[in-house]
Amino acid sequence: MIRATVDRAFAPTRGVLAEAGEMVILTGRTIVSAVRPPYAYGAELAAQFMFALRLCWLPLLIATVAFGYEAPGLQAANFLVLFGALDRLGGFFVLASIREFAPFVDAIVLAGVAGTAITADLGARRIREELDALEVLGVDPVKSLVVPRFLALMLVTGLFDIYALVFGVFGGVLATLVNNEPLGPFWATFFNNATTTDLWGSVVKTTLFGAIIAVVCCYKGMTASGGAEGVGRAVNQAVVITFLAIFAFNYVFTQVLLATHPALTTIVK
Amino acid sequence: MSVASTAPQPERHDPEAAAAPLGGGSSRPVPPPGAPDDHYEFHSYTVHPSGRRNVVEFVDTYKSFGPNQILRGLTMGLPEGMVSMILGPSGTGKSVCIKHMVGLLYPDSGDVLVHGESVPNMTESRLFEMRKKFGLLFQDGALFSSMNLYDNVAFPLRHHTNKSEQEIEEIVMRRLKEVGLGNARERFPNELSGGMRKRAGFARALVLGPDIVLFDEPDSGLDPVRTALLGELILEVHREMVEEAKAEGKEFLPTFAVVTHDIMSARRVADYINVLWRGRIVEAGPAEAMLNSENPFIRQFLAGDSQGPLSMD
Ligand SMILES: Nc1ncnc2c1ncn2[C@@H]1O[C@H](COP(=O)(O)OP(=O)(O)OP(=O)(O)O)[C@@H](O)[C@H]1O
Ligand SMILES: [Mg+2]
Repeated sequence: MIRATVDRAFAPTRGVLAEAGEMVILTGRTIVSAVRPPYAYGAELAAQFMFALRLCWLPLLIATVAFGYEAPGLQAANFLVLFGALDRLGGFFVLASIREFAPFVDAIVLAGVAGTAITADLGARRIREELDALEVLGVDPVKSLVVPRFLALMLVTGLFDIYALVFGVFGGVLATLVNNEPLGPFWATFFNNATTTDLWGSVVKTTLFGAIIAVVCCYKGMTASGGAEGVGRAVNQAVVITFLAIFAFNYVFTQVLLATHPALTTIVK
Repeated sequence: MSVASTAPQPERHDPEAAAAPLGGGSSRPVPPPGAPDDHYEFHSYTVHPSGRRNVVEFVDTYKSFGPNQILRGLTMGLPEGMVSMILGPSGTGKSVCIKHMVGLLYPDSGDVLVHGESVPNMTESRLFEMRKKFGLLFQDGALFSSMNLYDNVAFPLRHHTNKSEQEIEEIVMRRLKEVGLGNARERFPNELSGGMRKRAGFARALVLGPDIVLFDEPDSGLDPVRTALLGELILEVHREMVEEAKAEGKEFLPTFAVVTHDIMSARRVADYINVLWRGRIVEAGPAEAMLNSENPFIRQFLAGDSQGPLSMD
């Protein structure tokens, strides 16, 4: 009786843990089959790469400029103006945009636009039994479908980080101009604080974000069940899980990066 | 997944043995745990001998999805070189049964043997190898939506053979014409009717000349004339493939299994009939024996009668 109640109360938790475990297994299988020949997934990789690029470039451009201008730009500027320290906005942008906002906006746009498309596509194929048919025809869906999406999303998310970063900083430039301030001090404090560690840290982080998006979204698509409604549910869950996983991973990554590179914690004038 | 590995027991399928209830002796197999007493009263478990060895065999297979028990001690065989029918009420687990044969689903307990080899115990690479013996028509066709009909049917050839594009085209077009889709080669699956997708899936299942072909309701969604023609096509293709196999001296003769609800085509096409209900075989045997069966459930089902042991629930 007590046992049954406990079982019922923890059933969802066990479900979550089991799913997380299966996603880890999928990640392992994906990496193994990516490095093991034959490498017949080239064409699909290129197609997925172009697909993500085409879907995401405009939403990402709008999101990064608007977000860079609004959140760290206007809000921080309003705050810094109080101290007459608007020249520090550049330095702040290193912290804000390169380290946090650009990777986040990048990941959120990629998950929301490309990730959901992947889940919906694979989910529909699961429901139509296309994935079963592939397997019966002797084709491993992990190798032929998950691997190319995994690699493509890592590449695209990593590359788009730089893109997001450029347009995010552009948002900061806009904010400086709107406050009728010269740009010289902005760039001065920006480059005083920017280090190559910041840049590669940001790119590595987003590349791993891409891996997380791909694994979660592929997993949710490939395990969809229950008809068209099930695909909708899978897409919804994929987005929620991706965001949570990215927030959690970001925390760990930042902690590790700051701990191993203490210089990053010093703010330079 | 726990798989109780059961060793193959060839002597149990002695072709000369007289029709006898499975499990040997006069005792009936015990009903599955939790089943009401009267659920299995019409299961005579009689297997009329086919005189052939079985290429696919289910040995006391159980499978549940959560609380739903689907296969509940299924023991069934598909005799070599025959066109077998798997008949049964909607939702009894015929499609589930087919997926067990190709290792898309694994039994909770019991075993599934293909050519005497246990499918649930295969390594992944062995499983992929074993699947090349199969041609499978899924219930909904399962065509690849990103490819046109031609590429769908050509897919197995491109993947598993080194044939030139020209040879492939010859085979693919022959198969497509056979099912009346010669003019639709450029069309995509979403531009086709359900029946057309079925026929295209049919063509794809046969394109590699497999040893074992499984058709999951090839005739649902087809008009009556096409259903009859499809039945003839199945027989004709089977005859051709058997002749080819004999000429080539293949180890196993081609075996077909057809899941259907259409009693007319079952009567016309079947060499052998398995009747499945509540996760077990009610009775199985060569078509004549089954059509003359005294079993009230079999009689009702093969006559398509509304009166009898089977009701809506
Ligand atoms: N992957 C699955 N997960 C959960 N339940 C399943 C799954 N596959 C099948 N089932 C359930 O198993 C039962 C049998 O399904 P199956 O598709 O084998 O029936 P069927 O005999 O082929 O019926 P029909 O003649 O209508 O096609 C159904 O109740 C179905 O809901
Ligand atoms: Mg079915």
